[in-house]
Amino acid sequence: MRSIIYYLREFLRPEWIRKFFFAKTAPLETPSYFKGYPTLTGNECTACLSCMMICPAPKAIAVLRTRDGWEPEIYPGHCIRCGLCVEACPEGVLSSGRILDVTRRDGTAFWSWYHLQVDDNLCMRCGNCCVSCPVNREIDPQLAGSGTSSSDEVIMRVEGGRVRILHEEKCTGCKTCETQCPNRAIRVARMVEGVQIGEAEV
Amino acid sequence: MSILQKIKNTVRSRSIHVAYVDVGSCNGCDIEVLACLAPRYDIEQYGIYVHNNPREADVLLVIGSVTPQWVDKLREIWDKIPDPKVAVAIGNCPISGCVYARRGTLTSPPAEKYIPIAAQVPGCPPRPTEILNAILSVAPLIFKDYEEKQP
Repeated sequence: MRSIIYYLREFLRPEWIRKFFFAKTAPLETPSYFKGYPTLTGNECTACLSCMMICPAPKAIAVLRTRDGWEPEIYPGHCIRCGLCVEACPEGVLSSGRILDVTRRDGTAFWSWYHLQVDDNLCMRCGNCCVSCPVNREIDPQLAGSGTSSSDEVIMRVEGGRVRILHEEKCTGCKTCETQCPNRAIRVARMVEGVQIGEAEV
Repeated sequence: MSILQKIKNTVRSRSIHVAYVDVGSCNGCDIEVLACLAPRYDIEQYGIYVHNNPREADVLLVIGSVTPQWVDKLREIWDKIPDPKVAVAIGNCPISGCVYARRGTLTSPPAEKYIPIAAQVPGCPPRPTEILNAILSVAPLIFKDYEEKQP
C-alpha cells in the first residue's frame, strides 16, 4: 500500500509529468550547410559520367536518360555522402551543402586523364583498337580506309609488330578500343588526381 | 477507444525502449547512435531509452552489413524481443551493403533477408537527427492501439 502511494506521489509531481510528456528542446533540424545527398541544381547534364567514375560506393549514382536529356540519379541506400561527384562534375549539375564553396575558396580541382595499357602477352597485333578508335580516325582518315597509318599524331598504331601508344593524352575515354579488342588486351583507365588550380594549368 | 487505451497509447509513445545490434559495421553508425545519447541530441528527452538487452526492447536498431557470424544470431535476437516490436536499419550497410557490397566480400546484406525491417535510415553514417526522426516516426505507428489490433 505504501509503495502504491509512493508511486502515485512520484508520478503526480508536476516536474515529473512535464519531463515525461514534453521534450526539452524541439527536434533538431539538420542545418542546410551540412553535406547531404547530392541534389540536382537544374544545370544541364552532358553525360560525361565523371560523377559515376569518381564515386567510391558501388551503385550509388547513375546517369539516366530522360525525355529532355540526361540526369544523374542518387540512390540514398548506397550513397555515402562523400561529395566527390559534386566536386568532379564540370557542369555543376549536382550540389550538396558547402562543398563547392569550399572547393572554390581553396582552389582545388580534380585533374583526370586516361591511361592506356596494352598487355603484350594477350595482344595478337590485329590492330582492331587502332582502326576502331574514333579519335584516330579523325586525325588520320587514311587509317579508317586502309587500316594503315604513318602519322605520328594518332593515339596508337601498330608499329614494328606491336601496338605502340603515341599520344595517350588525346584519348577521350570512350573505351571503343577496349570493346573492340578480341583478347581484352587493351585497357583504358581513368586516372584522377586532386590538385590546386594553379598546378592543373601547368 | 477506451480511456485506458488512450492512456496506454500516450505513455507508450513517451517510453520507447531501443536495443541496438551491430552486425559487422565499421563503427561509424555506432558512434552516431552514441551521439544520440549525448547531451546535444539527448535521445532520452523524447522518451527513448537505449538498452543492450533485447528482452527489454521495443525497437531494434540494426547496424552494419550482415557478416556470416551474425546471420543466425540476428534472427535469434529478433525473436527474443517481445511484441510489439519493430526493427530499424541504420546506415547504408544493412540496406544495401554500401561499400561492402562488392564481389569477394563475406558480408550478405540486406538485413531485410533475415528480419522484417520497418524503416531504413540511409546515410554513411546517418545523422543523429535522422536516426531520432526515424525512431520517433516509426515507433508510435507500431505501438498505437496494440491491444485492439490483436485478434
